[in-house]
Amino acid sequence: MPDTPAQRHLVIQLARFGDLMQTKRLMATLMADPGLEVHLAVDRSMAELAALVYPGVVVHALTAHASGVGTAAQAAAANLPVFATLRDLDFERVYNLNFSGLNVAVSGLFDPAIVVGYRLEHGHERRGLWQDMAMRWTRYRRFAGLNLVDFWGLFAAQPVTPGAVNPIAQRGGKGVGVVLAGRETRRSLSPGVLSTLAAAVTQGIRAERVVLLGSKAEQGLAKEILSVLPSAIRAKTVDRVGLTDWSGLIDELTGLDAVLTPDTGTMHLAAHLGVPVHAFFLSSAWCWETGPYGMGHRVWQTAEGCAPCLESAPCPYAVKCAAPFAARDLVRHLSGNAAFEIPEGLLGLVSGFDPLGVVYRPVLGEDPLAPRRLKFRQLIGSWLGLPMGGDPDHELACELFEEQDWMLDRGVLPTDLFEFMKNSERDQA
Amino acid sequence: MTVTPETPPTRPLRVLVVLPLYGGSLSVGRYCVRALRSLGHLVDVFEAPAFHPAFTALKDLSVSSQNLGQLENGFLQVVSQAIYAKVESFEPDLVLSLAQAPLDSQTLRRLRKDGVATAMWFVEDFRIFTYWKGFAPLYDAFAIIQEDPFFEELEKVGQPNAVYLPLAADPDFHKPLELSSVDCRTFGSDLSFMGAGYPNRRQAFRQLIRYDFKLWGTEWDGDPTLERHLQLGGRRITSEECVKIFNASRINLNLHSSVQSEQLVSRGDFVNPRTFELAACGAFQLVDERGLLFDMFHSDELATFDSMPDLMEKIDYYLTHSEERTQIAQRGREKVLAEHTYAHRMQTLIDFIASRRPGWPTPRRKAADTMKDFPQDLKEQLIALLDRLNLPSTVSFEDLIAAVRRQSGKLSDIETAVLFLDEWKKQYGGK
Repeated sequence: MPDTPAQRHLVIQLARFGDLMQTKRLMATLMADPGLEVHLAVDRSMAELAALVYPGVVVHALTAHASGVGTAAQAAAANLPVFATLRDLDFERVYNLNFSGLNVAVSGLFDPAIVVGYRLEHGHERRGLWQDMAMRWTRYRRFAGLNLVDFWGLFAAQPVTPGAVNPIAQRGGKGVGVVLAGRETRRSLSPGVLSTLAAAVTQGIRAERVVLLGSKAEQGLAKEILSVLPSAIRAKTVDRVGLTDWSGLIDELTGLDAVLTPDTGTMHLAAHLGVPVHAFFLSSAWCWETGPYGMGHRVWQTAEGCAPCLESAPCPYAVKCAAPFAARDLVRHLSGNAAFEIPEGLLGLVSGFDPLGVVYRPVLGEDPLAPRRLKFRQLIGSWLGLPMGGDPDHELACELFEEQDWMLDRGVLPTDLFEFMKNSERDQA
Repeated sequence: MTVTPETPPTRPLRVLVVLPLYGGSLSVGRYCVRALRSLGHLVDVFEAPAFHPAFTALKDLSVSSQNLGQLENGFLQVVSQAIYAKVESFEPDLVLSLAQAPLDSQTLRRLRKDGVATAMWFVEDFRIFTYWKGFAPLYDAFAIIQEDPFFEELEKVGQPNAVYLPLAADPDFHKPLELSSVDCRTFGSDLSFMGAGYPNRRQAFRQLIRYDFKLWGTEWDGDPTLERHLQLGGRRITSEECVKIFNASRINLNLHSSVQSEQLVSRGDFVNPRTFELAACGAFQLVDERGLLFDMFHSDELATFDSMPDLMEKIDYYLTHSEERTQIAQRGREKVLAEHTYAHRMQTLIDFIASRRPGWPTPRRKAADTMKDFPQDLKEQLIALLDRLNLPSTVSFEDLIAAVRRQSGKLSDIETAVLFLDEWKKQYGGK
């Protein structure tokens, strides 16, 4: 007798490196179910990485990014056979993660009733209540953040506990990794500042090796940083910028003592591998949305009143949020000198968990929004049936809940709340 | 009125047909949809009848008339906003409303501001239903089933773009049928009438009770003389049953309605849809003479009467002359097929709008030209898709995308590829 065929679930993640890594909680949830055959549709450029970080998952490579593609028709033609394959696979559930026209178009291959997230119905995009609520709380970004890993994780009815997503970060003895830049240059530190901070961390943790990481586009930047590094540090620095493929990047990251990085895909990959992250979040980067996931990471977050800003809008303040990262006090602290004061406009945070997901607790500097942030998480968590504690907040509830949520039948709540709560309690313990 | 457009539309149109919530023009609207599709146009329908239960629920509330008025007003605003949203997503070249369509004046003004062509087919008697005075000027074109003085009246209220558009038949639906013996017995008789019990008809038909006479339709209650002739308990007759009745009756009476009971044969102007439908079925009818009837039919294509004595005489004559009945009915059917289908009417309306609206519709590149440089496999599958969706070769690629968006449920690989291609262009630019 043949075994009962596995149920197939598909995750559609057509965005970039960082997004693929931040799909981890959802992927870990599906991969933990022995009765599921898990499929993942990604852009062609991400297929190799997807197979490496999500072993055992069936990866489908679509053409969804424009680089290297001639025309829209060529992209559509390249995808036709993949569409045919996906359509024939008879998925029981499809998680469509990105609020993008391309994702919605691909979801047209499936019965809208099985699509969780952004789906095509009557020729137009429709989304579930969870996704709608996220759109609402983006109006209150300063205090209403939920990490993207948790947001996507909660597309599943019973996501794995936050602690089961990534290993606890711990030093591996292979030195310090330095990621030179993120996709958005405004989110990255200048070569001078980065080299100073890298030297400080190397000294602070007494690392014997430094490795520079980045893409080919950053090879010039690597030379610049090397030229300004203190000679003692330069002597133990290896430049691997532009020289690693996905598997090479994983090899370089594995076993490091720390990774210094702006908000990048490499940061999420390091967290996936259990490498302690020292993340620098400035400009539009906001750790409560996209910070490193897991226990034991550190984030230096700008605390300017204008943060987080919009990537697409020019900065009217000459990126003043970058200034605290150059403060001598920060360098002193990172290099292990206990006599320092946290620079104004900066917060030092460490990662941890609450029942909803990852949180960042301020350990250096004061976060005036922490109480509101807690209220927000209590509201969202209790809505999901999690034991969050706290008093109900009527005003916040009015902002985030809308009458059609309960008056009209349009939402999808976790189907097994009991199981969901049980998992969360276990995680708390 | 013959319409000769200066520049007839050169490409299939995208038309949004707005149906009424209920009523007689609802079926006409559905025939328009089929006709427009048969002409190769891309048609979407605003299904106003789906909203009718909500409207009924409001009416059934036990609330003051003031409150009910406010609620009904709010309800109509929501429906109108839904139509506007549909226009925004479908981007039609033409919004065609049938009489009583729930499109409010505010929305009509917005559509005009947006440059969307609008037309109403007012399939009502303008003397009885006078609400046209309020909204006729808000439409870009106004199609009517009567001639002067209605044209003049419309000019006076500021609507110069009126076109005479008599009713018609749908030959795919109104057609000769081979009936089963059961249907022949159920629906057949020497003499029949299908329609509502207007005062003039009640009076007139009391004189016909000596015949094998079957009366079909609603609003005949409270008339003991006609009661034994009334079929199926006076319930509403479906369109399919109508066609069976038309086919099964030796003589189909067609007496135009009138709210006056003094003058049984009203000698009005417009011609009702039943005239065309009966003719299209190849069914024999005795129809009262109308002012506009002989502009459309020759005297040997229909049998007419002008008074009750004339009617009685002709019933007796034609019941005994089956050959003549058959010949007249056949000629009537040929005339309808040649000149009086809904497809003819829709073409007339489109030509009229084109004649009054220079540059309409906005030119679009043909799908075939857009696809010229597409990879071969994609192109072949797209051509097959055009065929499967019954889209003409002159359709634009934008229309193909709109047609795919109208599909529901799981899409095919190639349909998904069409939407993907569209979204790719939106995201990454025009290539």
